[in-house]
Amino acid sequence: MSENIEQLFVKQLKENQNIIHKICRLYTSDEDAHKDLFQEVTIQLWKAFPKFRGESKFSTWAYRVALNTAITLYRKSTRSIATSSFDTNNYFIKQEDYNYEEEEQIKLMYQAVHQLNDIEKALVFMYLEDKDYTEIAETLGISEVNARVKMSRIKGKLKKILNP
Amino acid sequence: MEELDILKKAWQKEEHSFQQVTEVEIYKMLHKKSSSIVKWILIISILEVLLWTTISIFFNTDDYLKEMHSEDLIIYFKVLNYINYAVIIGFIYLFYKNYIKISTTESTKNLMKNILRTRRTVQYYVWYNLGMITIIMILGFVLAFYYNPEMHLLKDKIAHENGNKTLLITCGIMLLSTIVFVSVFWLFYRLLYGILLRKLNSNYKKLKKIDS
Repeated sequence: MSENIEQLFVKQLKENQNIIHKICRLYTSDEDAHKDLFQEVTIQLWKAFPKFRGESKFSTWAYRVALNTAITLYRKSTRSIATSSFDTNNYFIKQEDYNYEEEEQIKLMYQAVHQLNDIEKALVFMYLEDKDYTEIAETLGISEVNARVKMSRIKGKLKKILNP
Repeated sequence: MEELDILKKAWQKEEHSFQQVTEVEIYKMLHKKSSSIVKWILIISILEVLLWTTISIFFNTDDYLKEMHSEDLIIYFKVLNYINYAVIIGFIYLFYKNYIKISTTESTKNLMKNILRTRRTVQYYVWYNLGMITIIMILGFVLAFYYNPEMHLLKDKIAHENGNKTLLITCGIMLLSTIVFVSVFWLFYRLLYGILLRKLNSNYKKLKKIDS
């Protein structure tokens, strides 16, 4: 029985791993940190798995747990995040999908996002994932109005970082 | 177009760019927590042996035995000491084996089995150490009683005036100090390994919950 549940978990996680990779992409700036966060998220998901009853999709449940993990983890170590270098070269991006100019722009965007705080990154993630404000508000435990205000502030902040 | 929307466009394509984690890798991640606890058990047991060795260098029992004119006993103490070290090294080897097993296990069933085995090893280890301390304490008292010249007064007292009462009090004091000493060690072990075992146990319970 346990083998089955474990197998089920591992299988689902494997199929839905991209959503976690995406969160790691926003919260970490090098490959090692990415792997560490991925592992921590995996452990947290496994711990919470008995409570997951399939009321929502696995991916939805997983991204929420992952965001929470990332937020808690990076709140504890804001200092080390602030001083970490932004090395986006470690990420393998398929060459044919981008022309160089666009690629450069994307790289800069990620660097800008890395300078946001833990909650702001969570908002950016959900924005990029096309979540509506109701879901964003619910996930972060804030009001919908507050979520909208925060989002527009983030956009302003990013603009400032990118066009100083 | 807003900056974030440029990223959004690229974001959808990112899907394919992440290095995929395999199922085996996920299994390994799930079992890492237990393996780190077992690693600590291994490290602490080694540190403990180092601590005792350093202490025994500073408090040389040979000199004490010479002082008491009982050089003939030194050999027995040495043998006891070597046996003790052999057993403890045996335990460290078992801890090491447990650690290797737990960090390479890839199924819950086996992991649970290994956690139980580690628990048992730690318990045996603690009982062995407590037993050894008790034996050494009692031996020490008996030796002191028979060989220590300072004990003559006490022995005279037992031989002449109300002997039974003095003997009883002496035995009582020895017994009491043995109990206190062993209890202190018991407490020390409970703190040291208790915390780790509790963590290991909660891991086990979690696994079992999923199992049922």
